[in-house]
Amino acid sequence: MRVPIQIVECATSRPVEAELFDEVTVEHFLETQKEWRPVVLAAAKQLAQSGAPGQILPRHFHWDWSSKEGELQVLAFSFFGITCNAKLQGLMKLDLTGRAGRLPSQKGKPVVYVDYSETAPWNIKALMQALGSGQQYAVVGTRLIEAAVRKSIEEGFKGRVALHSLSGSERFYLEVCGMTEVVRDPTKQNLLWCEFTPEQAEKFLAGGAA
Amino acid sequence: MKMNTDKAWLLKKAEQEDGCFVSVGGLVDALEQVEQPSGNVIPIRQAFMRFVQLARRDRRLSLEQFAEKVDVDLVELFKIESEEHYKPAIRTVHKIAEYLQIPEKKLLALAGLLQVKDAQFQTAALKFAARSAPVEKLTREEHSDLEEIVKFLCER
Repeated sequence: MRVPIQIVECATSRPVEAELFDEVTVEHFLETQKEWRPVVLAAAKQLAQSGAPGQILPRHFHWDWSSKEGELQVLAFSFFGITCNAKLQGLMKLDLTGRAGRLPSQKGKPVVYVDYSETAPWNIKALMQALGSGQQYAVVGTRLIEAAVRKSIEEGFKGRVALHSLSGSERFYLEVCGMTEVVRDPTKQNLLWCEFTPEQAEKFLAGGAA
Repeated sequence: MKMNTDKAWLLKKAEQEDGCFVSVGGLVDALEQVEQPSGNVIPIRQAFMRFVQLARRDRRLSLEQFAEKVDVDLVELFKIESEEHYKPAIRTVHKIAEYLQIPEKKLLALAGLLQVKDAQFQTAALKFAARSAPVEKLTREEHSDLEEIVKFLCER
């Protein structure tokens, strides 16, 4: 699947053409390692030297995509990527095994679980500012979550999506996407379990969140 | 997949995002989440148990030989065939599907790892599981095995 989409170029604040795809390959993993990782590490180093609070520092750069190669062929998982200007801008891994919702109103109902989602470091304002540069593209994260919601609808899960947000990303999922803060999960290092009900997912797609 | 094409929505989201972090996963990937099985998972898994048993026996393979051919751990295979509450690893089901040349998605569903909405599939799986309740006469070998274990238990 390849779908033309638009994301926003920050320098001009205008929409530009991009592509959402689900044929993720090992080469995409390698691209995150080769292209993303050095930028994240350089920014993290700058942030640490400037005495930035711990919670601003990226906590996800040791994610090892190469260990995920075997999962590419497993149908219980679904992978999505976004490219723009011939570069990978974001990647996401979904678990479609039908994990159960935790909101009282959704208990036992299947959700699409976002196992991993990340945008390229040049699309994160704090990292680019640390490197004395500007953020390149916006809404890559929003587009990935949009894909997760639409996949949930396709699978018959009615738009239910859940995830464990890293601490630095909670504002995005709660305020920008409009997910519900459900519980801090002691089995996942107290990360926040956030969840979309079908109604919230619909509102998000219609632009009503936040 | 039809994505939103509304430019106003896009620009509004860009403003709200404001270049924030959106990361999920990574740190916690290795930690397995404990899941509560949903109502129909156990009977479906019984169907999976029976399917694996029959597929193995049909090939006249011992557990050990089957585990070796499929390239899965013997202990896991034993649990798959004997414990209805056991949740097999996705990779294991993938290997079994590959060896038996069964559509992977169907086998994942039968193993209770994939939610299926297909009522026909669920009914077929339940019927198959229900037939696993043994009524047939024991074979000579089974009878001999049973006598042996009874003797052993009585001696203890």
